[in-house]
Amino acid sequence: MEKRTLPERPGWRDEAEKLGFTFADMGGEPYWDETSAYRFTLREIEEDIEAPATELHALCREAVDRAVQDEFWLTRLDIPRQHWDLIAASWARSEPELYGRMDLAYDGKGPAKLLEYNADTPTSLYESASFQWLWFEQQQAAGVLDPDADQFNSIHEAIVARWTQICADGEDVHFAADPDNPEDYATVETLAWAAREAGLGAHFTPLAQIGVTDEGQFADDQSRVIGTLFKLYPWEDMLRDEFATHLQSSGTRFIEPPWKAILSNKGLLPLLWQMFPGHPNLLPAFFLADVQEALSGGTPAPEVADAFGAARDLLSQGYVTKPIFSREGAGVVLHENGSELARTPDDSYSHHPMIVQGLARLPDFGGFHPVLGAWIVGESCCGLGLREDRPLITHNLSRFKPHFIEG
Amino acid sequence: MTERLTRKRSRHVALVLAGTATLALAACEDDRMDAQSFPDLESCIAASKQETLWFTEEDCRKNFAAAEQEFLETAPRYESKELCEQQHGAGNCGNDPVAQSSGGGFSFMPLLVGYMMGSMMSRGGGIFSQPMVKTADGRFSTPKGDQSFASNRGAGKVPSSTFQRAPSTIGKPPMTAAQVSQRGGFGASATARSGSRSSFGG
Repeated sequence: MEKRTLPERPGWRDEAEKLGFTFADMGGEPYWDETSAYRFTLREIEEDIEAPATELHALCREAVDRAVQDEFWLTRLDIPRQHWDLIAASWARSEPELYGRMDLAYDGKGPAKLLEYNADTPTSLYESASFQWLWFEQQQAAGVLDPDADQFNSIHEAIVARWTQICADGEDVHFAADPDNPEDYATVETLAWAAREAGLGAHFTPLAQIGVTDEGQFADDQSRVIGTLFKLYPWEDMLRDEFATHLQSSGTRFIEPPWKAILSNKGLLPLLWQMFPGHPNLLPAFFLADVQEALSGGTPAPEVADAFGAARDLLSQGYVTKPIFSREGAGVVLHENGSELARTPDDSYSHHPMIVQGLARLPDFGGFHPVLGAWIVGESCCGLGLREDRPLITHNLSRFKPHFIEG
Repeated sequence: MTERLTRKRSRHVALVLAGTATLALAACEDDRMDAQSFPDLESCIAASKQETLWFTEEDCRKNFAAAEQEFLETAPRYESKELCEQQHGAGNCGNDPVAQSSGGGFSFMPLLVGYMMGSMMSRGGGIFSQPMVKTADGRFSTPKGDQSFASNRGAGKVPSSTFQRAPSTIGKPPMTAAQVSQRGGFGASATARSGSRSSFGG
């Protein structure tokens, strides 16, 4: 793994605009940044990222299987009791998942560490699957990249294949998101194009325009009944909104399925650590309530005492606290050697239960810290997107960096 | 140009190249599960007496009831009997018992002509069932309609996707116009403080 300075494609900004990639610059700062790119070897991609991420997803499925049957975990994950059945039933019926993005800390030396799994509403899909791909093809054609080089990015083809697998030929799928957010909309549009390519009918409806019919079904902005709904809107919010009472009775099929509420919850991290302690791609993780006193020399909750004891040395070097529900780095605080190292200014999620996770310091490449986004489609890892930032906590103004495989 | 044997990137993507890729996806062998179909509950119970099989009389009863319920919830519904018979063959359609009581506009549906049970036991998933209806060409299919079978009596291996639920049609089928009584019940984003976030994703 290295960061290589490369010439930018002449006129890429015009092309981005022409393609509708309107958020290539955000808030006066570049978002898409191709002044340099990350290079990986094929071995690093296959052995350090692809295989571990696919395995982690399988472990996550085991964690779901555990949590849906266990009131203790459903309570800890703050899943409203009236929706436990909805979630358990969606898992029992094997309702298929579509996609997710694992955020990994990786420096090319040790094993990649799972920071968190955005398994419900990951964005940056267009830049990962399409614009990054275009960058690679054009740079290779221009001779900037080696003819033997490659990119870990079969995301688009994997999504098309997944749609054909999980929907009937010609099935109508509604896509709901906030149309005023270009990032969210681009992600949904990317998925909808893939759905059309898979032979499905794709229809967009603004999330806030979804209605309930007289018969209790959901309907789109044109009052057409929704059979299958892809929603770029978190389950933790779906379950608490006014329409939550209609979720089960509507008969709607949801993508992602309701059981993803367990994976997109950062309470997943302590659950994984309890089930697979010491796994090379996991960081020690606990609920803060169980270990708060222990972090400053006191005693942990009895049920995690052994696990905490085993992780105490690692945690004393550094740890992160974050709310179980949060997006784009909100509410994350970094502690190292007993003092606070960094925090994000946005604390809008910090009223939720918190977790503690061992600190995996992100590597430094020229003053920037990359986080790897490993894309999971279906049950397999199929691509990579990197974001980097100057602060240690990646947030929504971080830069997207292209990557390539060489060697 | 030389190329790696294992290509790690897509051959095309959306929004950039307007190509139409046809991706035929064959079900993996390990994705296939034992399945058996029956015209009615009695034939399932009779078959369950054979000790070698993976289901019991209790499974028959439970799954037949589930298939009957799922049939009511997901079988296709039509405005007229003619339209229904075009899709499912002459004599294979009847009145919608649900619409009869609620007075909906789509009051014809194919007859329930059997059910299929599948075992996901090997993967800890239990036994699943789907109702079966006739197709226009005289075959049998689940309500989702993406797979059809020559018979409603037989055993074999089918992809586990056969047992995924079809979209609900109880009330009205997808894409039909409906009377909307309320909007705006999604999007309040209860877990974040209001006005503090721009994106629902991350």
